[in-house]
Amino acid sequence: MELRRALVRAAVARPGVLLAVSPGATRQRLAVEAELALRGWPCASGPAEADLLVVVGDREGQGEGEESDWLAGLWRGIPAPKARVWVTDPERAADALASGLADLVRGEHGTDHAPDAHHEHHEHHEHHEHHEHQQNDGTAAHSDHSGHDMHGGHHGHAGHDMGLIEGLPMADRADDRDGLRLDVLHVPLGPVLADWPAGLILRLALQGDIVQEVTVEPVATPPSPRPPFWDEPWLRAAGGEHVSRGDAARRLCAAHLDSLGRLFAVAGWDDMAARTRHVRDRALAGAAAVELASLVRPLIRRAERSRTLRWLTTGLGTLTAEQARQRGVTGPALVADGDAYSRMRVWLDAVGRSAAVCDVTEALDPAEVVGPRGRLDTPVPPSRALLDSLPRLLVGTEFACARIIVASLDPDLDEPTHVPAPRTVHSHG
Amino acid sequence: MGERTPLWAVFVLPALLVGAALVTAGFDAVLAAGARRGRPGSLRETAVRAAEPGRQVLRHLVQQPRRTRASDLPLARIGAGLLPVAAVLAAVVLPLGFRSVSDLPEGIVWFNAMEALAWAAVWLAGWGPNSTLSLIGGYRFLAQGLAYELPHMLAITTAALGAESLRVGEVVDAQAGLWFVVWMPVAFVIYLLSAMAMAFWGPFDQPAGRDVAGGAGGELSGADRVLFLGGRWLLLVVAAAFSVPLFLGGGHGPLLPGWAWTVLKTATVLAFLVGVRRAIPTVRIERYLELAWVVLTPLAIVQALVVAVVVLNR
Repeated sequence: MELRRALVRAAVARPGVLLAVSPGATRQRLAVEAELALRGWPCASGPAEADLLVVVGDREGQGEGEESDWLAGLWRGIPAPKARVWVTDPERAADALASGLADLVRGEHGTDHAPDAHHEHHEHHEHHEHHEHQQNDGTAAHSDHSGHDMHGGHHGHAGHDMGLIEGLPMADRADDRDGLRLDVLHVPLGPVLADWPAGLILRLALQGDIVQEVTVEPVATPPSPRPPFWDEPWLRAAGGEHVSRGDAARRLCAAHLDSLGRLFAVAGWDDMAARTRHVRDRALAGAAAVELASLVRPLIRRAERSRTLRWLTTGLGTLTAEQARQRGVTGPALVADGDAYSRMRVWLDAVGRSAAVCDVTEALDPAEVVGPRGRLDTPVPPSRALLDSLPRLLVGTEFACARIIVASLDPDLDEPTHVPAPRTVHSHG
Repeated sequence: MGERTPLWAVFVLPALLVGAALVTAGFDAVLAAGARRGRPGSLRETAVRAAEPGRQVLRHLVQQPRRTRASDLPLARIGAGLLPVAAVLAAVVLPLGFRSVSDLPEGIVWFNAMEALAWAAVWLAGWGPNSTLSLIGGYRFLAQGLAYELPHMLAITTAALGAESLRVGEVVDAQAGLWFVVWMPVAFVIYLLSAMAMAFWGPFDQPAGRDVAGGAGGELSGADRVLFLGGRWLLLVVAAAFSVPLFLGGGHGPLLPGWAWTVLKTATVLAFLVGVRRAIPTVRIERYLELAWVVLTPLAIVQALVVAVVVLNR
């Protein structure tokens, strides 16, 4: 028994972490990611390889019914021994991870200790445990996570005639682009996928791995009064506060580095993704302009010189300036006037420029309300416009291309969930 | 050649391969941690980082197996288990120095046939769990297989043609004077590309991509996962090691004994492959298909033709 315990302890010393981030929790996510990099814990890309589920979310913006469904699904998908923690406070990310590890080491088989700090969520845990017992009493399934089930509750697709096998929908058939009758699979993407905008749910109809139909599901989380993390400096300046131009540049730099990290990760360039995120964390930790510029330069050079990256991302998700303007896109996607590759170039340029000026103390012009994803003084938040452009860009592409296109637009779901004070921006959607 | 290999070699071979795979994975882990957290401070830190793959294996071994709803468990299990088996069987004809466990008269064909088992393995592992993302991973590997296999076969046939034999031992003997890589460089490069594709590694890791949450192996946990991902490392080691007898002169070299040369050359190729993965993003399959059919296959044919002409005029 002692030996077994010691073995488990050694095995879970660096647990695989599955991050479940709700929209509105960017600040917490960044804190957790920085802490994970520091500890060297691997980030799992799915429940199967995870030991520790880290739920990252604002307490205010916390919906009960819907969300606990997909969280319960995720939790069931993780093989024991497992533990789960809730990170609501960016300052306490390290504590939460430490308590998660302690739970893992202590618990024999996925016992359900909530860290003491988060006792409000016992309700959730009881709910999950109930599920688990049901599962374990049954003979077959220990867990029923699957692609179909990623988003907990299954939403029926009206008009499609689908049979059910073990409660899962069967594929139905439809003509494909070559006029062949092929299976159509309805797959929800998100909200928990590695390198995926937090909270985004796309409903895809796939034939093979070609995307035939896309609907963007409205954001489920209740609106949050906190300004979106990435837009904060500009919104605060517009609200009359003193914000230095350097701080805004630093935030912009980090925001684009965050997006670039996602793009590189989705393009399968783990090394660059890791480096980019390292620099992002340095920028947010307040590195001086000199250091930041020296960190950013090799990244930009490497990304710009990579012929493979260029070969892989050109021609994907072309959004001309005219189309962008029609849909109300105002940010880098409008400037880029082109495909995923040109959007990446725009990000890289902005990162280089903003890294150089992130120490400037001069005050930000309150009239200049352009955040990382576009103008913040329009009736529609910039990410809403990006979301609206998504379906048209995705239809007809391959699954892998679709992921790259989403990453190259990188809509920030904090924006549509944010309901600002009445006088500035109006909520939409 | 000629000397008979003792029977215990059969048992040593898998252990040797696993050791090599762990060392390679450790090297890769050190590089990965370097990208994430900067250079290691001390030797001890490097050692901790290098031990990461071992810890991961342990972590998955204490995990309970899980299953997805309506999954075909036997299929997924067979898929996961088949991968390491295919790698070890392919390694049977691999000479260490000048001796392999079995120097079959048609060793090159045997090697290629065992590799083809990986097709079945990855497809089954992707299909079994009844999950969309792992299914997409499986699809991707089939497409990748179609793209790499033809140039790959042409490349290894070129080496066999140069030696006028399908016996791996004779291919090595034929390179006593001049390594094949010198006069069949195109075949060598194509072989390296397909070696990575075979182990769905490096720029060809789309079947197990992070964008599909681990793809073909994404739903595997516990021992199944160790078998599948471990099998992939074994496959990479075996594919890299096979380039040594095919193109890099096997155990031939000055001063050092044959086995040392084999190890040295294999390590170099492996280090190169690990480095390539760090330097290049994942190639999307449909782009690679284009490249494979339009560029690589014709190039491989021309290379084979050149070698055939040289051999006929000898």
